[in-house]
Amino acid sequence: MKLADPETKPLSRLNDSVDAGWTRLLGLGRIEGGVRRMLILVVVAFAVFAALKPSIFLSGTNLRNIALNSPEIGVIAIAMMLAMLTGGIDLSLVAMANLSAITMSTMFTAVAAGDPALAEQLFPVILLAGIAVGVLGGAINGLLISGLGITPILATLGTMQIYNGIAVAWTGGKTLYGSPSALTAIGSSTVAGIPILFYVFVLVAVAIGVVVTRTPLGLRIQLQGANPTAARYSGIASRKILLSTYVLTGLLSGIAGVLFIARNPTASADYGASYVLLVIVIAVLGGTNPNGGFATVLGVVLATLTLQIVSSGFTAMRLSAYQYAIAQGLILVAAMAFEQVKWRRRLRSRKPAVQPG
Amino acid sequence: MSGASLAIPDRLRLLRGANNEGVLAVVLLALIVAMSIANPAFFTLPTAFSILRSSIVPLIFALGVLMVIISGGIDVSFAAIAVFAAYTTVRALQSGTPDLGLIGAFALALLIGASLGVINGFLIAKFRLPTLIVTLGTQGIFKGALLTYVGSRYIADLPTSMAHVSTTNLFEVSTPTGSAYLHVLVVPAVLLAMGLAWVLRSTMFGRSIYAIGGDVEAARRAGIRVMRTQVAVYVIAGTMAAAGGMIYVIMGRSASPQILVGSELDIIAAVVLGGASIFGGRGSVLGTALGVILVQVIYNSLILAGVPSAWQRTAVGVLLIIGVGIQAVASRRSSRASVIDETHQKQEVPA
Repeated sequence: MKLADPETKPLSRLNDSVDAGWTRLLGLGRIEGGVRRMLILVVVAFAVFAALKPSIFLSGTNLRNIALNSPEIGVIAIAMMLAMLTGGIDLSLVAMANLSAITMSTMFTAVAAGDPALAEQLFPVILLAGIAVGVLGGAINGLLISGLGITPILATLGTMQIYNGIAVAWTGGKTLYGSPSALTAIGSSTVAGIPILFYVFVLVAVAIGVVVTRTPLGLRIQLQGANPTAARYSGIASRKILLSTYVLTGLLSGIAGVLFIARNPTASADYGASYVLLVIVIAVLGGTNPNGGFATVLGVVLATLTLQIVSSGFTAMRLSAYQYAIAQGLILVAAMAFEQVKWRRRLRSRKPAVQPG
Repeated sequence: MSGASLAIPDRLRLLRGANNEGVLAVVLLALIVAMSIANPAFFTLPTAFSILRSSIVPLIFALGVLMVIISGGIDVSFAAIAVFAAYTTVRALQSGTPDLGLIGAFALALLIGASLGVINGFLIAKFRLPTLIVTLGTQGIFKGALLTYVGSRYIADLPTSMAHVSTTNLFEVSTPTGSAYLHVLVVPAVLLAMGLAWVLRSTMFGRSIYAIGGDVEAARRAGIRVMRTQVAVYVIAGTMAAAGGMIYVIMGRSASPQILVGSELDIIAAVVLGGASIFGGRGSVLGTALGVILVQVIYNSLILAGVPSAWQRTAVGVLLIIGVGIQAVASRRSSRASVIDETHQKQEVPA
């Protein structure tokens, strides 16, 4: 294709560099296929509901609600993504988040009973204690999975029951009221029209994104999920990686607990019961391979937004929560089937593609 | 002498069972003995019958789940199928349809359960999707469709044919502490368990389920029709779920679309406790039945011991962790002893 003429050399060099640039761009597009699909989905979902019911859907209250609902679900979904990245799953995330919220509420109420001012001052300590509960829960999961070698789905199924049971017994099944007013203030305030909690969500997403793609730990987590055997033979300490992953998911649950209580100054054992399944839907929709090895934080963030947009769009159109459940299920199954069909087609077309030319 | 010492471990292994059923039975017995010593009120016929009564529905659900787990899958949609089938049937019988009688009602419910099972089976076998994800999705769809299109009302009065069964007892024994009743619906539960045990042990279909759960590719190469078997597994699981749902409704003498919510994971825990491997290829009806009864005995003894019912979930969680923990440690040790690669137990969540 290239012209060998000396005069056109600069042009052909330019052509080459443009070609290379295109290839790189296309390559980016291909690697981020899941993300691209999610971007399209977010835009389409938003456009559809904005067109159908602009008066309600585009109102400031509705948009702020989307931004307020997303963070807690998104943070848990990112934690689920991390667990799935290693080829595992974590069913105990919501239970840990509730336990963390309950710890904070109980601590605050206990201190405030004696000295309300002191309780407000202890706000950072209370916050850290809540997050620590999440980390502890995650460490227990990690030890069961990496130390004893229990399958993640069973280990976290068991600990989910245990954590949830402790929360029920602790609260007596009632809703606890009370949290530091500073936390509630953060939860209800906005910067540039966007709730602070949403910034927290973005911050967490960026941090986890950096950990997954730019640190040795993240690389090892990905390798562990892609091929456990190969990872072990490459000298990766699988147990340590699994332990760190589940400690990390516990940490994120603790943060989610803080988000729970920042939004509403209440804590209960059965808050967010539907989140357990919802975050799996989000993680898978966001392009996470449930068998491990592949996931992007951006995809999960976009999937969170998509489902929140669909949820509030359904509300705006006066459709029930049950119809939203149907939509959620259909989206999940359709996304999985679509992915699978695409994979198979790619596998089938690989042979002819090898031909030189 | 040496012959006897060789025979004892062999006999022990035989008693232990292929899936540790023996160990489970010993644990169950020990628990019953301990509870009886601690609280004489426990060791009575009424208690035994009430435990059996409360085991009926979990056992039927567990049988369906067991079959799916043996085939290498996991099903979290069975509770949604059960509610869908039972509530729709009651609704249909109420709204003018001539009373089909008990048999007709059950037939309708089982048909609904089977058709929902077809959806699961089709998606899983045709697209080869992870079973957990598919059943999560269909669970939402079934539940949403039920509440949106069938109804969301609580129904307090069942059709007479069904209401009649709820007060029928198989027999009644008078004891010093009061009369003990054995509910008639124990019979279908036991029949289903025996039927499934026979299918799993002695039919081509049953062995195919084990083969697929052990290794899909090997099963395919051995000439097993994987797709057909998988669809059949989910259809039967759906039918079982529908039967369980009907019995639940009959025993509770009311129908509501909100029942059985959140019971999915408890049932899966009981099946896994019963020795079924979450990776597929292993599990037995006997172990599952023991697992279900063990969970019910624990619930019952916690109440008798005065422990707040809030701790029940925790107790089952601890039991599950101990159960699978011992299995995991044992399999790690045995795989280290035989040179076989230990990766098989490190494989995470099978799809």
